[in-house]
This record gives sequence, structure tokens and C-alpha cells, in this order.
Amino acid sequence: MQFFDVLRTANHNLFRNKVRTFLTILAIFVGSFTIILNVAINAGVNAFIDEQTDVLGGDDFIMLLSNGAESMMSSTGMGAASGPTEYVESEATSSVNALSKEDQEKLKQIEGIDADSFYSPTPINGEGYYASKKTDKKYVIENMMILPPGNFKIPLAAGSLPDDDKDTYQITLAPEYAEALGYDNNEAIIGQTITLAFKNDVLKTWSKVEAEVVGVEANGIVTSSMGSIISRALYDKIFDIAYQHLPAEYKENLPTYYIMATFDHEKFTEDEIKQKVADAGYFAWTVSDMMGMIRSFFDVIMVVFNVFGSIALLAAAIGIVNTLLMSVEERTREIGLDKALGMSSGHIFAEFATEAILLGFWGSVLGVLVAFGIGTAVNAAVHAPGGFLEVFPTFDLFRFTLDNILPLILIIMLIAFIAGTAPAWKAARKNPIDALRYE
Amino acid sequence: MEPVIETRDLVKVYGKRSMAFTALKKINLQIYPGESVAIIGKSGSGKSTLMHLLALLDRPTEGAVMIDGVDATKLSAHELNRLRNQTFGFVFQQFFMNPSDTVLENVVLPLKIAGKHRKERRTMAEKALKTVGLSERIKFKANDLSGGQKQRVCIARAIVNHPKILFADEPTGNLDSTTGDKVIKLLFDLNKKGVTLIIVTHDEDLAKLCDRQIRISDGKIIEDTAKASKSTKTSKKSRSEDKPKPSSKTKLATKTSAKGAK
Repeated sequence: MQFFDVLRTANHNLFRNKVRTFLTILAIFVGSFTIILNVAINAGVNAFIDEQTDVLGGDDFIMLLSNGAESMMSSTGMGAASGPTEYVESEATSSVNALSKEDQEKLKQIEGIDADSFYSPTPINGEGYYASKKTDKKYVIENMMILPPGNFKIPLAAGSLPDDDKDTYQITLAPEYAEALGYDNNEAIIGQTITLAFKNDVLKTWSKVEAEVVGVEANGIVTSSMGSIISRALYDKIFDIAYQHLPAEYKENLPTYYIMATFDHEKFTEDEIKQKVADAGYFAWTVSDMMGMIRSFFDVIMVVFNVFGSIALLAAAIGIVNTLLMSVEERTREIGLDKALGMSSGHIFAEFATEAILLGFWGSVLGVLVAFGIGTAVNAAVHAPGGFLEVFPTFDLFRFTLDNILPLILIIMLIAFIAGTAPAWKAARKNPIDALRYE
Repeated sequence: MEPVIETRDLVKVYGKRSMAFTALKKINLQIYPGESVAIIGKSGSGKSTLMHLLALLDRPTEGAVMIDGVDATKLSAHELNRLRNQTFGFVFQQFFMNPSDTVLENVVLPLKIAGKHRKERRTMAEKALKTVGLSERIKFKANDLSGGQKQRVCIARAIVNHPKILFADEPTGNLDSTTGDKVIKLLFDLNKKGVTLIIVTHDEDLAKLCDRQIRISDGKIIEDTAKASKSTKTSKKSRSEDKPKPSSKTKLATKTSAKGAK
């Protein structure tokens, strides 16, 4: 008997009892649908996280902090939650969270960390707003940063990043500001001059700075949290405004709270470099830490989904066993005739096993098609105005690729085959005489 | 001439120990090419068991079945399947058709099992259906046929592979006399063309139409018209020799002569 004949016969037999076959396929469908959606979410989230990781310049970015800063990072939702840090008098320095010049020198000695890449801008706190000639409205400056060292690929909606080599005041605006400042779109604001106003907390005076808009950021988890990016010249100007009341000598020795740097990630893993920093008495924070929070949220969802999907598939596998056992029972005389006419036990086994595999195939294909349809619709819906992912146009919640669909279909077919072996054996082992006599 | 089927001290026991039941007790017989043999017996006599063993559908407890001089008990499962598929044809009282399939699909089943190509299967099935006079029913669902037509389709299925031996188990048992006669004629026409015919029946009239009757009772042969006379071998030979043009008269003649000599 030829392979194609086995396949044809199995498919033909499958649709003899259409209702029963449909119900069995439906059971497999539920399981495969759940798991495929889950796999698609996993792929979608991972792709997005990877993209966001690239924003931080790949895997070589490292942020160096004092030991006590660990709790600070976690309280802002960036690190792993570890609870409040207990106050210990003897370690009073760590509660300050500051890194002195001495600390910086110690950190530069750690093997694997690029000392030349060290950059530690002093945080500037205080009030400030954006204003433009196009509108009377003013907008609060939420956050600003300088381009950190390393190979950063911050996604841009328009324009470019500030050029730190030039001594001009440049700014690449955070995503939402172009239209708010009265321009038609992101392109229209490029090359325009806007006003940034800052208040000196001590002197209670306001100072204004004119800056050229050179770009607008695209939306993303990382970009939305870092705010606008300013050139180093502009940073220095703002620094002067904020600390103009301080003597020059004091200004130069202001403590630093974090150091941005790069490490040799071809030589050391993130965990290794973090261990080295920890051994030196400091705390390091890498790209994975930031993504860990997002990942852990989705991980919980995925575990729940996978458990549901697996239970559904297990039930479906039992359904396959049941369906095929009934089929073997109904077709007993047919099996007897096949055997009498010289069909081997192996072929009878193959016929029933193929039927089981086909059940798995149709169930999983149906699952893929429906999941694909729903996933695509959901993707469109969450990116539509008002959708919860509207601000992240590159974040496809469900991502379907051949890489994640094909293995799943094959695994479900394998499960179906395993479920089908018992009934198939039962059919294959039948004695032709007894089978023919079966009433 | 070598027998096409030969049995040696064939014993079949069902069950074990105290529950054991001996269905066949040392059966020895030879069936020669081109013969038409009736295995006659009452229900429970062991005639069906004998046919199952001759057709290699079951394995004997003791003894051997030789097909063309080869001991079938020594064949592998694969060789056995091949032998059944290539050498034997089966016609059953209950037809055993797949009612939802078409006539064509039912007839090609042995060819499908043999692994023949679709085109070849189709041509061979058309030929077999022509032989049984059902060419125009090829696309019909098996379920839409009358009883006689169903049995003729089953004969077409049995001969589609050009078997040497045709086993018929009560082929007319489920048919009325008119349609039964048609089926019988078909079977004997095939026998005239050289196919060895083995009919299992309790119908004396049908048995009489065969060259030879083997009567079974209690698992033993109580009468074998071929063995009955000393001239068995010669008469068989002469019969085989004038096989190309046999007539019912010569058949009857041999039968009476055999019976007379008993």
C-alpha cells in the first residue's frame, strides 16, 4: 500500500462520522488556539523588548550606583523589588546614595568596564517648562537627559539626535511635544527654536534658554521614560542656571548619584560584570534589569496561558483516544476484511495513526487560523486611537511567524499521534477471523 | 500434478486445557489446480475452521498447510499477507463491503493493498466488473445495490487480482434462488477459466455442482469424493486435461463414478 493511499484512506475515514470528528477537532482547536496565542504574545513581547534593548545601545550599557541605590532603583519600578532597606548606622555612607570622586576612581579600576566611557551628569532638580512662539501654552519639563555613552539607537520619529561635538543648544524632543507646542507634525518643528525656562529654587528667579529642535523621538517604553535629549552644551547651561548661587569650587565637587558607562560584553556576561561591581562594594544595573520588569509581567500571563492550553490539549488527547477507539470498534469487520485481503498490521496501524495525526493537524491549523485572525484584529485595535498600545506603534502584541507556528503544529501532531497509538495498536492486533465475525 | 493446497495432519484446538475444544482432528487433503471443491458440513462441524486454515486466515495448532508445496506455517507475516493478497480471492456470505464507498472503491481494495497505481487499479477493476456484468454500476454507492449485485461486486473484488484460488463461504446464503443461481454460474464460469474454486456450504444442491465434495463432521473428513476411488488421481488428471472444454455432463459423470466406486 502506498503512502498516499494511507493518507487518503485515513482522511476519508476521518470524515465518515463528521460530527464526532468535528467535536474532536474542536477540542484540539481550543488547546492549540490558546497555546498559539500565548506563543504569539511571547514572540510579540520579546521582539518589542529586543527592540527596546537596542535603544539602550545593545547589551554593553551599564549603570553604576552606590550600594544603597539598589532600593532607590526598585522603588522607582526599575529594578527587582527587594523591600525597604534596613538602616544600619555603621553603613551610614551608603544611605546617602552618592558616589564621590574616590568612588568613581575605584569603579574605573574594575576589569571589563570602560573607564573612558564614564559619564556622570549631576542630576538637576527643579521646575521648568517648554514654550514656543506658536502657542501661548506652556508645558512642564518632565524629564531630560544627555545622550549616554555607548552605541545608542534611540528610535526617532523625525530629525536627528543632538550633536555633542558642537557648542550649541540642541534638543531632541520627547514624542508628545511637537503638536502640543503648536506645530502641525513632527517634521514641522525640526529646525525651529523653542524656549526652555528654568527656576532657581534658591534664588526664586526664572531664566530662559533658546534651543534648536533637531529631532523628535519615536514612542517606546525607554524613550517615554527618558524624556527629551539635550546636547551637553545645553545641559551645562541648565546646570549653571540651577546652581548659579553656588561657589564655583562647590559646583565642581557636587556628588554624583549614578555613572553611565559601557562594559566589554564580549568578555563578560551581565551577571559576571555585576558580580565584579558588587565585589567592589557597588551596585550595577544593566539593560536586562530594566527589561526584567516588563518581562516578568508577561511571564506570569504566559504561565497561566500555558497551563490552560496544556490542560485543554490533554483533554483533547483523551478525546482523540476516545474517538479512535469508537472508530476501531465500528470498523472491526472492515479491519477483518482488510487483513483477510492481505493488509499488514503495520498498515492498519499506520492508517489509524495517520487519522490521529490528521485530527491533530486540522485542530492545530484551525487554531492557528483563528488565533491569527483574532491576534491581527487585536493588534489593529490596540494601535488604533484610544487603544492601550496607541503610543507604541512598533509593539505588535501578537506576533505570528513560521518559526513559532510550525513547531507548534508539529508538536500537536506528535501529541495526537501518541494519543492514537493505543487505538491503532488495538486495530492492528485484531485477528482477521474474529474481526470478520464481529457483530 | 502438484496439489495447489495440501494439508498434513491439520489440527486446530480452540481454548486451553479444560476448556479446550478440538475443531479439526488430523485433516489430510490435497486440492489440485482447477478443481472445484465443496466443503460440506453442519454448523459447528469444523468446515469454516478448515476453510480459514486453508485460506491462511488462521494458524493451525498442529500440522501444516502447503501452498504450491511451500509450508505456509513457516512464512513470515509479510509473506503470508502477500500470498493471501496475490493468490487468494474471497467471497463471503455477508459480502463485507464498505457501504458508503463506491463500487469501484470496493473492487480496487485488494489492488490498493498490493500497492498498485491508480491507473492500473482502475483498468483492472473495470475488467473485473465487466466479468460480473456490472460495468455500468462502477460509480454507484455499494449501499444502493441489490443483494445479488452486491455479491457480484464481491466476486469482482475477489477476482480483480487474478487469484489462483477462490474461496467462497456460503456465497448464496443471503440471496434468493434466482440471484443465487446467477452468482453460482459466475463462480463456475471462473472455475472453467482455470481458477481453483473452494466453496464452503451446507447447501447440498450447490455442493453437487462441484467436482468434488468433502464432507466434514466433528472435525473429521467423513467423505471425500476424490479419495473415494482408486482412480482418483487418474480421473483428476484426465479431468484437468480436458479442462479447457469441461461440461456439466462430464462433471456429473465423474461425480457419479466416484460415488459409485465408494
